[in-house]
Amino acid sequence: MTPPPAKRQKRDEYRKQATAANPEGSSETGLPTRVKLPKKKFYRQRAHANPFSDHQLQYPLSPAHMDWASHFPAYVNPDPTQTNLAGTRKLLKDVEIVDIGCGFGGLLVGLAPLLPETLMVGMEIRVSVLDYLTTRIQALRAQQQQLQSNQSSTSTSNTTTTDTTQAATEAPEASATAAEEASTTPSMETDTPTETPTTNNDPNTDNTTDTTTIVPGGYQNITAIRSNTMKFFPNFFAKHQLSKIFICFPDPHFKARKHKARIVSETLNAEYAYALRPGGLLYTITDVEEYHHWVLRHFREGEDEESVHGAAGSVKELFERLTDEELAQDPCVRVMSEETEESKKVTRNKGNKYVAVFRRKEDPVWPA
Amino acid sequence: MAVNFQHPFQCVQYVQRPQAKLLLVSAGPRLYSYSAETGQRLASWPQDTGSSDQEPPEKKRKVSSSESGPLEEGKAAEKNEKAKTAPAWSNIPIVTSTSNGEYAIAVTGEDKCIRVFQLQDDGSLNQLSERAMPKRPSSIALTSDETTILCADKFGDVHSLPLIPTTDKPAVAPRPNREAKLSHPAATNLTVHTKGNLRALEQQLLLASKKKEDGEERSVGPSFEHHLLLGHVSLLTDMVFVSLPSETHKRTYILTADRDEHIRVSRGPPQAHVIETYCLGHTAFISKICVPQYAPEYLISGGGDNYLVVWNWAEGRALHKVPLVENSSAAEVVVRGIWATTIGDLRLVLVALDGSPKLLCFTLEADGALKPQTPIDLTGNVLAVTPLEEDNTIFISVDSIRTAGSIQEWRASSSSLTPPTLIEAFRPQQGSEGSSLAWEPALKSATDAINAAGSVEVPATTEDKRRTELNDLLYAMSKLRKTPRGGDDE
Repeated sequence: MTPPPAKRQKRDEYRKQATAANPEGSSETGLPTRVKLPKKKFYRQRAHANPFSDHQLQYPLSPAHMDWASHFPAYVNPDPTQTNLAGTRKLLKDVEIVDIGCGFGGLLVGLAPLLPETLMVGMEIRVSVLDYLTTRIQALRAQQQQLQSNQSSTSTSNTTTTDTTQAATEAPEASATAAEEASTTPSMETDTPTETPTTNNDPNTDNTTDTTTIVPGGYQNITAIRSNTMKFFPNFFAKHQLSKIFICFPDPHFKARKHKARIVSETLNAEYAYALRPGGLLYTITDVEEYHHWVLRHFREGEDEESVHGAAGSVKELFERLTDEELAQDPCVRVMSEETEESKKVTRNKGNKYVAVFRRKEDPVWPA
Repeated sequence: MAVNFQHPFQCVQYVQRPQAKLLLVSAGPRLYSYSAETGQRLASWPQDTGSSDQEPPEKKRKVSSSESGPLEEGKAAEKNEKAKTAPAWSNIPIVTSTSNGEYAIAVTGEDKCIRVFQLQDDGSLNQLSERAMPKRPSSIALTSDETTILCADKFGDVHSLPLIPTTDKPAVAPRPNREAKLSHPAATNLTVHTKGNLRALEQQLLLASKKKEDGEERSVGPSFEHHLLLGHVSLLTDMVFVSLPSETHKRTYILTADRDEHIRVSRGPPQAHVIETYCLGHTAFISKICVPQYAPEYLISGGGDNYLVVWNWAEGRALHKVPLVENSSAAEVVVRGIWATTIGDLRLVLVALDGSPKLLCFTLEADGALKPQTPIDLTGNVLAVTPLEEDNTIFISVDSIRTAGSIQEWRASSSSLTPPTLIEAFRPQQGSEGSSLAWEPALKSATDAINAAGSVEVPATTEDKRRTELNDLLYAMSKLRKTPRGGDDE
């Protein structure tokens, strides 16, 4: 037996320390030095995963069997008799937002303060990337708890607003214009991120910078799960449970032979429609123009109702695309197109971003 | 001298026609039709089109022939079989028919073709169409008006296609869907950045420009009319079409089961993209789902779990878990088939397990519970079941090649000196319906005639490798089980 390569060893060591340093919810013990966020370089993984392979996935038998309590300790129902079918504690509210293929979690971290009372989950198929995000969320939560306890003891409020999302909520008009640019002029390069007050564009350091402000929600409302959503989405979410689904910079699967592996397809859209409540939104963003058209095609965007109803019906009945004005008013669009790791990478490489958002319509009436 | 084996009947389908009672059967690469009353073989398919003169024609249309007729001709057919070139498929895993018995539908294995036949009272099979599906069909169903075939495949998709392809209308081009092929690469230097990827992109661009010059544009996908209705990202194993009467008008549903433990309840076409609910409760793959015609509010599902689940499928609610084996630590269970039928006023549910010579028998109670009854013991593994409701009889095809209780071990060829048992028929014993159900053989003359006629021969000298292949063709479901793998999987 050859020992594992040095890189693997270093990774394992680092990760062990990282998880040990951030044991969940144990910030009250002595308050050591500042909790560090994990470093991405120890968690890199090949960008593609085969969605058709079985992997070794853990997924609940049904949504009623899902143990959310361990993911959202701050939202556990105080009544211990309230348990789900698997015997774990229930939450005070349901998970409402899902980021499919959340990667390193930029969107979740960006959205967490924006919607502090909404529970969000990121789903990622790659083990290492998920490890990173789980550690990152734990560290963020621990940091927030430290800050809060510091604040209550010294009663001096920390008002440095270096946090980008904080800035965004204070300047909604800025985000609106950014979103508009991203949607109305997709073929143009969006250079807005350089104007936003991000202090770092280096991919290796951007997330390791500590937040120094107290963020609404304290990152208690985000979590991440390893899953293959193409197969097991209905195991996690009940009918009409979700208000938003994000699909950000999905694996483009360039080869035609691999198109079945794409996360957006007409048949999968039916599953997303099942989990989305009427009025709920499905966000997509990609830097691949062909994929953008693929998305529009698979939502039957641009087809007239006549031709659709003529044949076998389609998901066109279930979704409508949002107008550019509506996109401009949605702060989530800005977070999606600026704060995810992929969007930063696209900006660095001066690529294009294509946004399409769809609203879930009411179920059609039964045919006569 | 070693006696050759006979291909067992993979599918058995009873067909009620206005003037005739037929039994449609698939054995190896062949399709046979029998009279369900006399057991006389009426026709076989495929015919030998290019057969030489001295060999007798295979297809038989004689209804009133002598008793020895089918036997002799059957033997001749087998000789014939060896002489001619083998067809493109080696098994016919799906056989079904319209309820009026006018059309039969069969799916041939390797060439993935859906074949529609016109059936006659004399049992003759006339192939009307063959449509090669893009992926191997795993289940087919007919809509309630019986003009549309629904086909669930191993890719996870359900397509609809007309029973009788329209010839006047040119084939509708498939939707610009997965087939949409680009003439130029989708990637650009804005989306790929590494050296290797950029080089690959350069190559693709070069190739694309060449292709354009040649003007060659490969069309992908079948050319006949078909529509994609719904899809799982998992292998579909079974599908049921249900039509429920409602206050105002009929409501239709498509129920699909997959390898990843899901049963999806979708609306029927044209709203198959509306998912009504899921039935989630299995921990292993699902192989069969059954909605009894006499109680369409219930769904019975089984697969790699050692239990069945009875569902209120419209609400996605599990009602009962029914154990299939007494000792839960026993060997792994694979449900081969679930059939629901009424015999007298008994509401029966019959369940066959892979490699089991017992046909499990339950009665469906008013609350949806399944009450175990005495199972039917057979001479070989149960393969397929078809009920004759008006005769209170069920036909059961059994595996004549493998030893009872095994999906691998072949019988000693000497034991098949007498005509092997391919099919058996049973009916409830008189007066046994009250307390506990007991079964007795029925229609002995018919099953004897069918068994005597045999089917396609499998040489006793078949090599082990080929034997394993044949085993896998007949008992494919156990392959669906997920195997725990060690190490990291990425």
